Amino acid sequence: MTEMIKFIGVNKWFDDGMHVLKDISLGIDAGEVVVICGPSGAGKSTLIKTINKLEPIDEGNIIVDGFSLQDHRTNLTALRAEVGMVFQQFNLYPHKTALQNITLALTKVRKLNKKEATERAMEILKKVGLADKYNAYPSQLSGGEQQRVAIARSLAMEPKIMLFDEPTSALDPELTSEVLDVMVSLAESGMTMVVVTHEVGFACNVADRVVFMDKGEIVEIGKPPDIFVDPQQPRTKEFINSIFHIPFNNNHGS
Amino acid sequence: MSKLLEQFANYKFYLVGAYPEGQIGGLCLNIILAILSIIIGLSIGIFFGLGRGTPRRYISLPCIVYIDCIRSTPLLLIIFWFYFFLPVFGVKLSLFWSAVIPLSIYASAYQAEIIRAGLLAVPKGQMEAALSTGMSRWLALRSVIMPQAFRMMLPSFVSFFNSQFKNTSVVFIIGIIELIQTGVIITQRQPDRMFAAYIFMAIGFWIVCYALSYAAQKLEKRLGILDYESYKPEICREDLVLLPLPKAIKRLMITNK
Repeated sequence: MTEMIKFIGVNKWFDDGMHVLKDISLGIDAGEVVVICGPSGAGKSTLIKTINKLEPIDEGNIIVDGFSLQDHRTNLTALRAEVGMVFQQFNLYPHKTALQNITLALTKVRKLNKKEATERAMEILKKVGLADKYNAYPSQLSGGEQQRVAIARSLAMEPKIMLFDEPTSALDPELTSEVLDVMVSLAESGMTMVVVTHEVGFACNVADRVVFMDKGEIVEIGKPPDIFVDPQQPRTKEFINSIFHIPFNNNHGS
Repeated sequence: MSKLLEQFANYKFYLVGAYPEGQIGGLCLNIILAILSIIIGLSIGIFFGLGRGTPRRYISLPCIVYIDCIRSTPLLLIIFWFYFFLPVFGVKLSLFWSAVIPLSIYASAYQAEIIRAGLLAVPKGQMEAALSTGMSRWLALRSVIMPQAFRMMLPSFVSFFNSQFKNTSVVFIIGIIELIQTGVIITQRQPDRMFAAYIFMAIGFWIVCYALSYAAQKLEKRLGILDYESYKPEICREDLVLLPLPKAIKRLMITNK
């Protein structure tokens, strides 16, 4: 297997001096699904945003698809087109319809003509089950539908990597499954995926590895059952217990 | 009252000044000055507004200095600079242009601020989403950020257009015969018609300003107000509304929403 994403000793400080990423080293293979979890403020979102350089790093290097992000000769916009990203807040363009949201980058970045772009967008919309909503504005869609359009927008670019930054955290619980379904089928199709999420069910079903982060460090990496059932580090234990609502001191039975 | 009605006989002088015999003046000149200065100011202001927002210090700093200097200077002073200073340096401007240029410079600083505020009001995630699909920063600005920012700038632009239009009356000080000056000329010829003339001037300004506001209202309705309902960044939290109102009233407003 070839390594699709490789973090090499990555360090990042915020402007206020906070050390948000501490010496992160991690390799992610092509076709692998990696779930990143951890308490808020752990640096998960920052970590995932460094992969397409929405957040620049201060030290170390990140290699994506063979290109170094720290190298000035790397064509960043071309690389970003190969890396799809889905956000917690959907970030659909509110002044454009679902279809236009998808075709915008297809015509401007991929340089497809209008007919080709529309065809491809409709195909992807059908895949996420929203073919009948192509003419709706984001404000007319439910949260789950908006997030599926956002996924479609990234998928239409035919990326090699998909990044998901807490894709279901802003959704009502009953709407999360429609988004997770799309993500599961995407994982099954062999997409390289990095997902920040607290959906344990999703992680257990499709993740190849789970990365637990706390305070800017990678605390533990392992297969989903290992992390969620039998964590080795005390910090991981504490977090897993809190998401399952198990009081910290009474976990001997579990 | 009859004296006021009598002023309607002078409407042509109020409207276009001594045109066609002499230079164009009156209300028409106010409108021409306002439109010209707003267009020139906007095209300069866009660069300063964008420049102020860049993280590159060597670009943003000169923009900040320019905007702040102009904004903290009275329009009258800028007009005097151009009227009195430029001839000293050997530059000769016609009366018309020595009114248009200061007005444009004044407008550019204010419009730069409106543009900057509009850009800041677009959630950061929009830029991130656009960049993540492989758009360049400039392309994202043009096709994603600007169209949204423009809708949010619209109310500020309208109120600025209104005040800019009224500001054009200041140029009477360098001898341009615009609406105020036409009124002054009439009162000098017929001192007993002073009140009527001054009220008539006010009516002239009112008609244009009202028409502008009305047109803007129609436009806003047609464009529609952007719906960020599904998008609630923390900065938009309702309890942070900056209104100098007692807490009880604020609470009432929020619960009514």
